[in-house]
Amino acid sequence: MPGNYMPSAAELFRFSPELLLTAAGTLLMIFEAITSPKQKRSLPVFAFLSLLAALALAVAASSDPGPAFNRMLQVDGFATFFRVLVMAIGAVTILISTNYLKQAEHEGGEFYSLVLFSVVGQCLMATANELIMIFIGIEVSSIATYVLAGYLRDDKRNNEAALKYFLLGSFATAFLLYGVAWIYGTTGTTNLSGVRGVLLDPQNAPNAILISVALGLVLVGLLFKVSAVPFQSWAPDVYQGAPAPVTAFMATGPKAAAFAAFLRITMWAFEPVKNHWIPVLWFTAIATMIVGNFAALRQSNVKRLLAYSSIAHAGYVLVALTAASKTGTEAAMFYMVSYAAMNLGAFAVIAHVARKGERRVEIDDFAGLGNRQPLTAAIFTVFLLSLIGVPLTGGFFAKFYVFKAALDSQLIALTIVGLLNSAVAAFYYLRLIVIMYMQPAPEGVDTLPEPSLGIRTALVACSLATVVLGVFPSLVLDIAGRGASFIR
Amino acid sequence: MTLLELVLLIPAAGFLVALLLPKGNPKLVRNFALAVSLVVFLLSLGLIGAVTADPQHMQFERSIQWMQSPAIRYHIGVDGLSLWLVILSTLLTPICILVSWNSIQKNVSLFYAFMLLLLAGVVGVFVSLDLFLFYVFWEISLVPMYFLIGIWGHDKRIYAAVKFFLYTMAGSVLMLGAIIWLYVKSGSFDIPFILDSLGKGRLTLGASEGLWLFLAFFLAFAIKVPLFPLHTWLPDAHGEAPTAGSVMLASVMLKLGTYGIVRICLPLFPDAAKASANWIVVLALIGIVYGALVAMVQPNMKRLVAYSSVSHLGFVVLGIFSFNHFGMDGAVYQMLNHGVSTGALFILVGFLYERRHSLEIVDYGGVATVAPWLTILFVITSLASIGLPLLNNFVGEFLVLQGAAVANFPWAIVAALGVILSAVYMLWLVQRTFYGATPAAVKSHFTDLSPREWAIIVPLVALMLWMGVGSGSFLPAVRSSNDQTLNLVLKSTYARQSSPPAELVGRVTRPDLKESADAR
Amino acid sequence: MPEGYLPLFVFLIVALLFPVVLLWAAALVRPSTPGQVKHEAYECGIEAASNARGRYTVRFYIISILFVIFDVETVFLFPWAVRYRQLGWFGIGEIGVFLLILVAGYIWAWQKRALEWV
Repeated sequence: MPGNYMPSAAELFRFSPELLLTAAGTLLMIFEAITSPKQKRSLPVFAFLSLLAALALAVAASSDPGPAFNRMLQVDGFATFFRVLVMAIGAVTILISTNYLKQAEHEGGEFYSLVLFSVVGQCLMATANELIMIFIGIEVSSIATYVLAGYLRDDKRNNEAALKYFLLGSFATAFLLYGVAWIYGTTGTTNLSGVRGVLLDPQNAPNAILISVALGLVLVGLLFKVSAVPFQSWAPDVYQGAPAPVTAFMATGPKAAAFAAFLRITMWAFEPVKNHWIPVLWFTAIATMIVGNFAALRQSNVKRLLAYSSIAHAGYVLVALTAASKTGTEAAMFYMVSYAAMNLGAFAVIAHVARKGERRVEIDDFAGLGNRQPLTAAIFTVFLLSLIGVPLTGGFFAKFYVFKAALDSQLIALTIVGLLNSAVAAFYYLRLIVIMYMQPAPEGVDTLPEPSLGIRTALVACSLATVVLGVFPSLVLDIAGRGASFIR
Repeated sequence: MTLLELVLLIPAAGFLVALLLPKGNPKLVRNFALAVSLVVFLLSLGLIGAVTADPQHMQFERSIQWMQSPAIRYHIGVDGLSLWLVILSTLLTPICILVSWNSIQKNVSLFYAFMLLLLAGVVGVFVSLDLFLFYVFWEISLVPMYFLIGIWGHDKRIYAAVKFFLYTMAGSVLMLGAIIWLYVKSGSFDIPFILDSLGKGRLTLGASEGLWLFLAFFLAFAIKVPLFPLHTWLPDAHGEAPTAGSVMLASVMLKLGTYGIVRICLPLFPDAAKASANWIVVLALIGIVYGALVAMVQPNMKRLVAYSSVSHLGFVVLGIFSFNHFGMDGAVYQMLNHGVSTGALFILVGFLYERRHSLEIVDYGGVATVAPWLTILFVITSLASIGLPLLNNFVGEFLVLQGAAVANFPWAIVAALGVILSAVYMLWLVQRTFYGATPAAVKSHFTDLSPREWAIIVPLVALMLWMGVGSGSFLPAVRSSNDQTLNLVLKSTYARQSSPPAELVGRVTRPDLKESADAR
Repeated sequence: MPEGYLPLFVFLIVALLFPVVLLWAAALVRPSTPGQVKHEAYECGIEAASNARGRYTVRFYIISILFVIFDVETVFLFPWAVRYRQLGWFGIGEIGVFLLILVAGYIWAWQKRALEWV
């Protein structure tokens, strides 16, 4: 019957942010093709505004939560939370990128169009209530990001990053897809609620070994996407090689979306068999924190340093997931927000200091920044202190909630390892502060131009977010709490 | 807004304003910072009346909900224990600003902004009654000190600053873990509430649980104190910090550790504290003797004074863990004494440095002939630090030794050794620096004290005398606060032992002691 | 449930064994006379003119990628064509949107001069 295929108006409304972004992305491609170079200046503005409009639609759509498209999508507080987050990340990325692309002489509508498509994929991952949809979301988001990583196609490092990211990313999604096939084979459904229903049904319980293998394969794919040990090795190379604004985007947006899918799969579909996956995550969390932090100690390239730091931060979020509780989910959601704010900000500073060709990305290139550009250095310090986890910053409360959730679930050893790790982490973030404030700029260093309007806006927005999250964390935590209500 | 809040928030606001003041005008920033810190000092004096009238209860208490989940309260208050420490901090800040008047020429507005932030941070630690708030201020006070050492320090400043930050951070993350654990158990961060729950049996901690929590807190505090063998960051930090940084570090920040032990470790985990007392005292005794011995052989003045701090702070820990009134009162009084006399020592060493640009003792000699007033004041301060009667340290050390003797006599013997050694290294320092042959460099460079320097040092020396002869002005408030803490510690022992030792009961109420203290 | 997969595992094992056994058996009976000629790509016929990893102009790649993209995308038209009657106007609208996106891509490629050979 035709009526069965017809999505209702309510369903279309729930899906409207993605529709809008897809249309905007496609339009951008056409504008890029048919406009004059002068008119192209307004393309980033168009992309930015359409992201804001989509964000408003996402918020509006949350007033009418429910499923869409035969329960393939589930628009609820959780989905809205991550949708808004990834859209905001996309918007900030555009702010950081404009000036960077101008310096690289690679301005073009395609860049912004790809950012929009990637955001669509991430929204889909956050909204999906269906393993196939999650897979499609991951692919849409990843393929766009692969291209972004190699956007400056004359740059060898860009090419290397894009190729590595593409090969390893496809490898990971293959695992995921294979796992999905196993899940379908054992439970007869790929719908997350359906899987949960089968697992909860004592009469019809699937074989434990088969379901463990299936879940294991899916976890491999997801752990790859969030760059957790032992699947972290791609992250440093890719983060280092990609253009700095793209690195900012990759380290936050796809990661947040991957954690959203991760949470839906573990805390909803496979929550009934959580005893199977908690030990796995326990080990992964510890290994990820330790590998990330200790490897970061020895880095001299700032982008690589932040890459390892982002591995370590994935470890903290995994601690929250290991807690396997509602508070743990809230903690992970809060963590992703404050992590996005501070990491985007830090990469914005790097993009600003690196300038054309990214020749200034060694730690020593930040020497004397405290004197050369006091305000930039001060804001960078705020981000670094937040990454360390000093109180009154978002990073502190993020860690606080994570460890509280872990202790709530009696994960004492994990908490102690995590706490000690955050002390280790202080060391390499401090190195940057030391260099900026305590070492003079080398003789004959060329002057650093003032940050562009886009970067300034991004820095102000990110630092404000970091501080507000550090003083009034409940503003976001309450929303996260309502979003996590699917966990009972 | 209460008076206490003003004392806490004016420096914090001053920090922001100082950052925003025009960069090209160092004079303006200096005057602004001095004015702010003086106002805060005068305001803090206003706390004395109410607290000394009723030191057992929190005064100027204020409790507002900061956030609902987790239930964090902005809960502050001041009692007899914290009162003098707050005033010590507010007194030393304007002094440190004056000390840095000419010596700080680089990034001037940032320096004074950090001084004000540091003041807000340490006052915040002393007045917080919410564990979470305590932790927040604890960490905040760390940041400006890190920059003070790292930006304005001597040659090896970066190494020292990073070491300082990492040591403290390593301790405090475990404290954070313990704080969260307590919150998970009790549902609150509020110290009075948790104490109440523990007292009424609503919250019980298992023996090993209590011990682990105690150790997590104690480690953070012991690093800050610093207790042997966790002291190795201190000589580096002191040796490399600018004068003002050394003064604030020694006089105020080290007290955060000992204050934390008295305010948090003892009341919350009395059983664990008693169980651990023996080995903690042994470490404190080792610290007393070791610090003194190492101080003796230091060629660098600042490192010498730093090691002497290790020794002095050993006395404080010894006094606390003697678990009787002599020791406890002496320990708290010794915190204040050390703040005044060691602060003054660092300032005087700073004066020497500004003239000769060296901290090595061998570069000096015969200063007495060219700067007699400087010499006189240095000698008085040294004698105070040694513990000469009529000067402040005598009272504190005497009480601590008395407490140690009551608790376990051999402790007192070892600790007394530390007093003797302190005379050796201080007098030897004075002799090598101020007497003997005068090198040509000293002769040509030295001038006696300037009016600014007089203004800095005279209040401190006056305070040493006052605290030495008029301890009655300070001790009663401390004593009544300590009453409660000791009651908690000793009561918990009764709960486990069927018959409380009679002499302990006497020592808690102790009418006899009150008289003897008043007579003194 | 896993019992249902038993034939599959049998199949897997047989599939693995079959070539192994066959190659092993062949190695037992066949004579072994290796030589230069046997390693060439074609044992008989035209000799290779150059290395297979030679370079082509990048235009070949662009054209072939464009061909593959548009070719594969049109595959999506087949399921729609099969269910044309059931889907009705909704199907027409959907495929219209799909084609519009394809056209957008086509315009972009055109304007970027990806279709020009010279």
